[in-house]
Amino acid sequence: MTEERVIKIDPVTRLEGHGALTITLGKDGKVKDVQFNVTSTRFFEKFLEGRPMEEAPRIVPRICGICPIPHHLASVKAVEAAWGVTPPPAAIKLRRLLIEAKQLSSHAIHFYALAAPDFVFGPFAPPGVRNVAGVLKHLPDVAVQAIKLMQFGQELCRAVGAKAIHPTLGIPGGMLSPLSEDVRDEWLKQIPEMMENLQKTVDLAKKVVNDYIDVITKVAVTPTYYVGLTNNGVHDIYDGKVRVMNPDGKVEVDFDPQDYPKYVGEHVPNHSYATHIYYRPAGYPDGIWRANTLARCNVADKMATPMAQAALEEMRELVGRPSHHTFAYHYARVVEMVQAAENIQALLEDPEIVSTDVKLSDVEPRAGDGVGIVEAPRGTLIHNYECDENGYIVRANLIVATNNNIAGIEKSLMDAARFIFEQQGHKDLKLPDPIVKV
Amino acid sequence: MAKRVAFAQLSSCWGCDQALVDLHFRLLDVLPDLEVVYWPAVVDYKLSDLKSLPDGSVHLGFVEGSCRTKEDVHILELMREKSRLLVAWGSCSCYGGVQGLANTWPLAQLVQRKFIKTETVTDSRVPEENVPGFVEYIIPNTDRVRFDIILPGCPPTSDNVYDAVVALLTGRPFDLPDTTVCDECPRERKEKRIKEFKRTYQGRPDPEKCLLDQGYLCLGFATIGFCGAQCPKANMPCKGCFGPPPSIRDHGAKIISALGAIADMSPEELENAFPDPVGSFYFTDYAASYIAKVSAGNSGDKGDGEDRR
Repeated sequence: MTEERVIKIDPVTRLEGHGALTITLGKDGKVKDVQFNVTSTRFFEKFLEGRPMEEAPRIVPRICGICPIPHHLASVKAVEAAWGVTPPPAAIKLRRLLIEAKQLSSHAIHFYALAAPDFVFGPFAPPGVRNVAGVLKHLPDVAVQAIKLMQFGQELCRAVGAKAIHPTLGIPGGMLSPLSEDVRDEWLKQIPEMMENLQKTVDLAKKVVNDYIDVITKVAVTPTYYVGLTNNGVHDIYDGKVRVMNPDGKVEVDFDPQDYPKYVGEHVPNHSYATHIYYRPAGYPDGIWRANTLARCNVADKMATPMAQAALEEMRELVGRPSHHTFAYHYARVVEMVQAAENIQALLEDPEIVSTDVKLSDVEPRAGDGVGIVEAPRGTLIHNYECDENGYIVRANLIVATNNNIAGIEKSLMDAARFIFEQQGHKDLKLPDPIVKV
Repeated sequence: MAKRVAFAQLSSCWGCDQALVDLHFRLLDVLPDLEVVYWPAVVDYKLSDLKSLPDGSVHLGFVEGSCRTKEDVHILELMREKSRLLVAWGSCSCYGGVQGLANTWPLAQLVQRKFIKTETVTDSRVPEENVPGFVEYIIPNTDRVRFDIILPGCPPTSDNVYDAVVALLTGRPFDLPDTTVCDECPRERKEKRIKEFKRTYQGRPDPEKCLLDQGYLCLGFATIGFCGAQCPKANMPCKGCFGPPPSIRDHGAKIISALGAIADMSPEELENAFPDPVGSFYFTDYAASYIAKVSAGNSGDKGDGEDRR
């Protein structure tokens, strides 16, 4: 009927990283192909070779300036696994505080700065307004709660990790600096206001979810496998086993970090420098999985904290378990923010958090092969290094959080593209009046 | 009148963006004076929007990241054409960044490790469709196009970013300090007679005394005093991520010559102490070193030639 048509969106915006979309529509009007082209990579796996392994935790945060802390911690855990080192309990609590602070600020920046503009101004508002600067201008109250949450998370990262972006204090055997009582007290004082801003965020998220329920339940509902860490089934972002759930909601496996090559496959597409990570036993593309907020909330039997558990139950009433609703990622993000906030409070109230026993002094390198896994805001993050007897890296393999989602993103884009171009479904979607009309 | 501003990201981690966002409430001071015409991290303008702007019509252009792909080179050149003042934003843009450490391998080996010989890769190939292709080596952006302002840091602190933006908006000069991290570090220093170097995990550093005096390789003495000595203040030796002060041309060469003077060790002992000299003495600025430039120069171009695989 018409010529083949290629729609190119370059770059994909309001994300961190370099990507473009290429959608090909056939002559019959059907969606022929959808590509998510990730257009850059920097070869960390290679240039880590030959470096002293204890330096990796300072090199790899540069993979991602938005989530440097999970890289820092997955890295230090990988070194400790290779060298057979167990840091003191207080050091692990400081690391947990660090990763929860990052989880809170990263989720806040995603919710408010990257996602909210579409919901506040409506998806068809002009780009010059439909952005975080527009939110600052038109909804100053919302902007204040957003900035305060992001600031709380980022500044807490700085207090524990020396630098909020590219932290440096995690070291094989512990942490290089303890948290002083004075600093801890300052943070405890800020908890009530943080919790208040969190509650406002939850309220706003619920309003958005209800307003856009038609979009959430109709656009990009894409069954995939899901992957995420749990600690005996309880949602955990620092430690545990990796759980894989199949599209029907059945748990396929809970595997130990060092067994990851058996379960994790990388498909190299011809059109992206980011590989497609998938569940290896199921093959590609059947084993395509997704990670990140919704995946963690799918695989976990329950949350670790009471308010977060209540929020998860409320979410599951609406979207079920597993939820395949791509737009429900926003909802799950808020559930996880609640857990991060509760964990931060509990860790700050724990007397051991100010212990000065945070570093071993007798760490020795040995030849080894270590795997460190944490949950980054955008998914399961795997660092694997092998070193010689002096502790110099001879091989590094990285499964970076976002790559767990690339194939899933492509799959859900295909669903969305068919919905729009083939079914013209967007014309019948019930959209609310924008919160701000421009 | 608001100044038109563009932020472009080449291959990088986007930490410089996060440092800008981390201005928090101070963002409200500067945002009303900025009209964002391109900033993919935040606003939905596309590359075609940037291309359609008249040359020289952007008051302030910020370039983050370095050129790993041919697309990066294209965006860098575009930003130069469109911007009146161009800022090299962060150590990647100024010096090539941590990815410059890849320069000691030929591109073919990097590509091989990433896409072909990886234990988790199940169907290896080098992607070729709708992807831009790589350049052979990382070279600093400042060797590719002219920059008006250099703002190093990995990332620059939020204060650094704020000071630079305010200076640019008000027309005040913005100069880098010719001081070092040691000038910002409160630790007590003595005459140095280092007999043995420790690795960062060894022992427990004394929190009051100079880390270099204690035998930890702290690069503060050769690194620009621009970061507030965040790491040494917290017991972590400086790794040099902000690059050298303006008067030092080659960061690692300066470090090596200084170590020779302050270490009570034979050249052989020194060499044995640092089996990874490139990674130890250059962190984010190997691509800007004389030695890297000599090797990249041997490829006969700016590294933009066809991939040798």
